Amino acid sequence: MSEETQKQAVQTTGHAWDGDLQEFNNPLPRWWLWGFYATVVFAVIYWVLYPAWPVGKGYTTGAFNDIEFTTADGREVVSHWNTRALFYKEMEEARTLQKPYLDQLKAASYREIAVDRDKSAFAYSMAKVLFADNCAACHQAGGAGIIGQYPNLADDSWLWGGTYARIEETIRKGRHGFMPDFADSLTPQQIDDVATYVLSLSGIEVDAEQAARGKAIFTGPEGGCFACHTREGTGMAALGSANLTDSIWTIADVNGAEDLAGKKAAVRAVIANGVKREMPAWENRLNDTEIRILTFYVHQLGGGQ
Amino acid sequence: MESQQTYNYTVVRQFAVMTVIWGVVGLLVGVVIAAQLAWPALNFDIPWLTYSRLRPLHTNAVIFAFGGSALFATSYYVVQRTCQTRLFAGGLAAFTFWGWNLIILLAAISLPLGWTSGKEYAELEWPIDILITLVWVAYAIVFFGTIARRKVQHIYVANWFFGAFIITVAVLHIVNSAALPVSLTKSYSVYAGTIDAMVQWWYGHNAVGFFLTAGFLGIMYYFIPKQAERPIYSYRLSVVHFWTLIAIYMWAGPHHLHYTALPDWAQSLGMVFSLLLLAPSWGGMINGIMTLSGAWHKLRTDPILRFLIVSLSFYGMSTFEGPMMSIKTVNALSHYTDWTIGHVHSGALGWVGLVSMGAMYFLIPRVFNRDGMYSKKLIEVHFWTATIGIVLYIAAMWIAGVMQGLMWRAVNDDGTLTYSFVESLEATFPYYVVRLLGGLLYLFGMLVMLYNVIKTISGAKAPEAVPQSA
Repeated sequence: MSEETQKQAVQTTGHAWDGDLQEFNNPLPRWWLWGFYATVVFAVIYWVLYPAWPVGKGYTTGAFNDIEFTTADGREVVSHWNTRALFYKEMEEARTLQKPYLDQLKAASYREIAVDRDKSAFAYSMAKVLFADNCAACHQAGGAGIIGQYPNLADDSWLWGGTYARIEETIRKGRHGFMPDFADSLTPQQIDDVATYVLSLSGIEVDAEQAARGKAIFTGPEGGCFACHTREGTGMAALGSANLTDSIWTIADVNGAEDLAGKKAAVRAVIANGVKREMPAWENRLNDTEIRILTFYVHQLGGGQ
Repeated sequence: MESQQTYNYTVVRQFAVMTVIWGVVGLLVGVVIAAQLAWPALNFDIPWLTYSRLRPLHTNAVIFAFGGSALFATSYYVVQRTCQTRLFAGGLAAFTFWGWNLIILLAAISLPLGWTSGKEYAELEWPIDILITLVWVAYAIVFFGTIARRKVQHIYVANWFFGAFIITVAVLHIVNSAALPVSLTKSYSVYAGTIDAMVQWWYGHNAVGFFLTAGFLGIMYYFIPKQAERPIYSYRLSVVHFWTLIAIYMWAGPHHLHYTALPDWAQSLGMVFSLLLLAPSWGGMINGIMTLSGAWHKLRTDPILRFLIVSLSFYGMSTFEGPMMSIKTVNALSHYTDWTIGHVHSGALGWVGLVSMGAMYFLIPRVFNRDGMYSKKLIEVHFWTATIGIVLYIAAMWIAGVMQGLMWRAVNDDGTLTYSFVESLEATFPYYVVRLLGGLLYLFGMLVMLYNVIKTISGAKAPEAVPQSA
């Protein structure tokens, strides 16, 4: 037996299990033990400095750890260290950085923001995240929307009006887009006629005779389409009715259809099924300045009016 | 006669085989949801294939089906052999096998249907919870009954850890799952609000601590010295790190609730006890790795030993990373990011997975009375695919996590946020793909193991290599 194995043989605890299972009885590694003591020392110091132990109905608040901060409504607070105070303090720091810009934005008109480089730069940088976090889920990252589901904000067509005032109202109050369905009140042939006429409004070449029949339904009492879309088919911002003459199709995917039959089918589906869309109101979720900044941002995404 | 007594290997065999099968299933579901995170359309708009329902299926399958089966198999094997007696109450042991697998089956049905208590790692609804309790009590009776009639005076250290795991999981399960049923498939927790959250994470953290740590340390303490054919490095270290681990783990749960409505003092306690946990956790790693001192050369030729030792390296890494992440300021960056997912998987794939696989490679030929595994070469293949898979997985999640944390807190000079949430998501996409790749490799290794195990059990011999002519 070598000296090495002899030494180890002495060191085992003398127990054996399952044949050859044994244990040496080496001392605890020093570095390990001191590492453990170090964490104990750290623990005690931390307990002294930070809130740590429950005592009665309260708790130890820690020493030398006061945090000073100002709340959003201007109250000055001094508190022992706590995570909520840390949050307030971080919010305060961001608020302080934003304040000079926000003050200017509050006082400025939309036109003034648009022409002032500093103000518009700030509005863009704030709006980018606001839009992405609140609007992009439906209207998509660039505001292009999804045809048939969510309006495109990046084109020149505004269902509900493209002025600053109208956009702000849309964001603030939300919108209900509604067109009744005509599957029951018009025959399939009539619906096809109206679809043909609607396509002709945007300059698509169709059978003139059929378009004429469609026009009669569109502008007459049978269809009554003109009541919302106007006799010329240009739509009304007050009702959110689409302009059918501008070649911009946000609900029926006319431009995506390959041939006339496909284009007709797309429009027919809208006439037969109607439209029911809702944009939620944001006035209780975003503050006034945030809504103003988003209004400014959306206005410039497309051709604002 | 006493001399006629044999070990009860039936239940060990059953659980060992199911360990491998549930491993494949659990990892497969994991790979599916990893793919869904990269390409969400892969849920095919089918409700029971959505991420929200498959994710708890994945966690339950890998923790309780794969990990649970591994623990049952190894603890039943170890406790018999180290107590030198047949398993106590063989009927009850059989009940734990069929009961546990019934629970897994019920989980596989109920979770995709959306029946959930909404508690992470404790999603199963109350009737299944009751079944778990019954099986667990039976498990405790079998295990401690066997200990009680042991033929040796001292209780081997592996059994301390198995015992602690069984007792603690019983307490955790019963306390956290206490709920008021309103129908057969729906119940509400008896706790409310922040207290509910605290109870949940007291459970959740100790599920990691006792199910996934103490239990698997039990595996380590038997299979490493056995495979290395060396005595455990230090009995003293076992005693000290066992009791410190048991005493301290219980307190660390609040670190899952940093910067929440949980009172700050509770958060502090959670953080400090997590740091205190570092040395006790490492005690197990040191004891395992140092057991190899004097036998390091065996790592070169023995892939099973490599599984066991590399698992300890991942254990050491994740039990260092965990206390670091529990420090509040670190947690402010890491929380809610994929760093957490990376951390969990370095523990789950690296530690729990590899140590279980190593133990199974040791145990399966023995309980099926074979000379060894069908192919050592395939164990090598498994080892390398698994290890590379883990490294890809955790490295991708580390980078993704730190990047997300930095992006979310980035603020411009004018006090506005630099990035929107969706930008951080876009930036994460490539790392989700790398993670999927890592997961696929790990799953592939598990399939290789399944093949190897089937061949071993069926008694096939690997084709003999043609000797090289001189």
